[in-house]
Amino acid sequence: MTTTAPPDPRESRVLSRVLGSPSVRLIGKRVLMAVPIILGVSILTFWVLSLIPGNAAQQVLGPDATAAQVRALEQELGLDQPAVTRYLDWLGGAVQGDLGNSLISGQPVSGELGSRLAVTGELVGLAFVISIGLAVPVALLAAYKPNRLVDRISMVVSITGLSVANYVLALLLVLVFAVQMTVFPAIGFVPLSEGVGANLHSLALPAAAIAFPLFCFYTRFLRGDLVDQMQGEDYIVTARAKGIGPWRVLLRHAFRNSSFGLITVVGLNLGTLIGSTVIIEQIFALPGIGQLLLQAINTRDFIVVQACVVVFAIIAVLANLVADLLYAVLDPRIRYGSR
Amino acid sequence: MSVEETGYPPFPAGETLLARTPDRARPDQGGAAEPLLEVTDLRVQFRRGGRRVNAVNGLSYRLPAGRMLAIIGESGSGKSVSVRALMGLLPETATITGSARFDGSELVGLPEPEMRGRRGADIAMVFQDPTRSLNPTMKIGLQITEAVRAHADMDRNAARDRAIELLQLVKLPVPERRLVEYPHQLSGGMRQRVMIAIALAAEPRLLIADEATTALDVTTQAQIMELLLELQERLGMAVLMISHDLGLAATYAEDVIVMYAGRAVEYAPAGTLFEHVRMPYTQALLGAIPRLDREPHAPMPSTPGQAPDLTALPAGCPFAPRCTSADEQCADEPPFAEHEPGHWWACWHPVRDGA
Repeated sequence: MTTTAPPDPRESRVLSRVLGSPSVRLIGKRVLMAVPIILGVSILTFWVLSLIPGNAAQQVLGPDATAAQVRALEQELGLDQPAVTRYLDWLGGAVQGDLGNSLISGQPVSGELGSRLAVTGELVGLAFVISIGLAVPVALLAAYKPNRLVDRISMVVSITGLSVANYVLALLLVLVFAVQMTVFPAIGFVPLSEGVGANLHSLALPAAAIAFPLFCFYTRFLRGDLVDQMQGEDYIVTARAKGIGPWRVLLRHAFRNSSFGLITVVGLNLGTLIGSTVIIEQIFALPGIGQLLLQAINTRDFIVVQACVVVFAIIAVLANLVADLLYAVLDPRIRYGSR
Repeated sequence: MSVEETGYPPFPAGETLLARTPDRARPDQGGAAEPLLEVTDLRVQFRRGGRRVNAVNGLSYRLPAGRMLAIIGESGSGKSVSVRALMGLLPETATITGSARFDGSELVGLPEPEMRGRRGADIAMVFQDPTRSLNPTMKIGLQITEAVRAHADMDRNAARDRAIELLQLVKLPVPERRLVEYPHQLSGGMRQRVMIAIALAAEPRLLIADEATTALDVTTQAQIMELLLELQERLGMAVLMISHDLGLAATYAEDVIVMYAGRAVEYAPAGTLFEHVRMPYTQALLGAIPRLDREPHAPMPSTPGQAPDLTALPAGCPFAPRCTSADEQCADEPPFAEHEPGHWWACWHPVRDGA
């Protein structure tokens, strides 16, 4: 068999090892897959926005403006162009990193997006940490002795939490902790620069409103998976037959294997988590992306809407990529490639 | 006794069958020494949705130290459940009554923390499917050292050395490399060797092999059985082997118990049992083994009927509805008694020699 020898065999070996590693291949594949996803999301957004009656020019000029004034502003903003042209125009800028200027304020979107991303990011991060941080220990305690007291209580709490929408919960939290007990502010945001304590204080209620239903869901899911493992898996019997303690069996053997399911669920749920910020930021008057998105929709500022949606899509894709990479870290069968 | 006489299938270890059986079939233990394990009227009942499933119904046997006993029976005969009951590995829905004395101390009703101290240390178990019985996300080394350290106060390095020693004991080549590998990187036979190494970690006096070779191919099966046999003799362990494979039991075990519907129906040294079958059920099992000397394409002999419903056992002999020699006397439960020296059975109409 004759093959053309590569110029430097050593270099190509290193290169092929790096490129051949499952993690690198996975990342590459996912990044490539993200392109059509984000493109599709932006097209869909653009199309839906073009179906909504009214445009930014009318919003800026108000109901008293004459048709001629509106047409003039439409021309200035380029709104008189067909939707396809406008989309391609936007896309041309976006791929070069220019997300355009707001139709209403005329300011570059990227500047506005940065500061708002920090707020939403903090809110999402906080809700994420609270929900996982509480769900894991509660699920472990519940699964340690299924159908006993802790399990029953967590079941009742979870079912309640899952049956209440997070905006209803948000209003309840405001009523109890802000109006009656006045321990947390009802609205407003204190940036991190003014102190961590004050910042967390201002985010406590919104983060709790997002985190609680997620906590309930994760607890239920993880508890169920742990109990299935403990009762149905042969390697659990092996572990028990070794004579090791019940907590060790649960943590070392069952939890490690249950974590795969949890990661999948958490990854899939991140979209919901980000989505829920739209309403919650509105209720608590937080200057995040969700609030920006809602304002932009009301003013038909499609440039801003587009930017927000694309950011959300990128975050969702990244979250699922992280989930997939976590499997590889935790599951040796994936890490070494299946043989 | 020969392969032809007993009708066993040509077994990869067929010569071993001929060579070993007469030698290993020592006379009855005679009850002189205190048995290592003495099970008396063991009963296990499961609650399942308001119904009660009687999985084990009054099982009794004795296993002297260092001996190999096989419990055979078809699926649902209660063989696996009966040994899991000994180790406290049954779910909470199980109620265990009767007695199981290990080295003179009672196992039934032992509180979980004490039972945990005995698991692995006194009684260890090797399971059927080594692929499912090893934790897929844990390195082999850790799975062994975990068992080592469960019963011995040992630091990591000492436990690691012990793990290597154990892997050498089960004849796994390059033990140092195995320690950092995961189960999926090993073959089925190697995995079962790892399972045996785990079971031997705390030097148990009784090793239970629950269908330990069923999931393996025949060649590997013979290798694993030979290994168990060698370890039994070298370490002086008693081995309780659970199988549905009569050929396997005849080849390796010294004593054999045949179980049906959760109880023992025949019990004798392996040689005696297969030469002088008494219980019609055992005979039916033997008849169902495929044989090379049968005419090609002849229908496989099978026992008509099904294993009894364990939620509603009929009165009398549980095998009677499927038995060709059953009559009205079988409506009374036949006693499980020692009818010939060392040979126990529960039947009103035992099979005669040569029948």
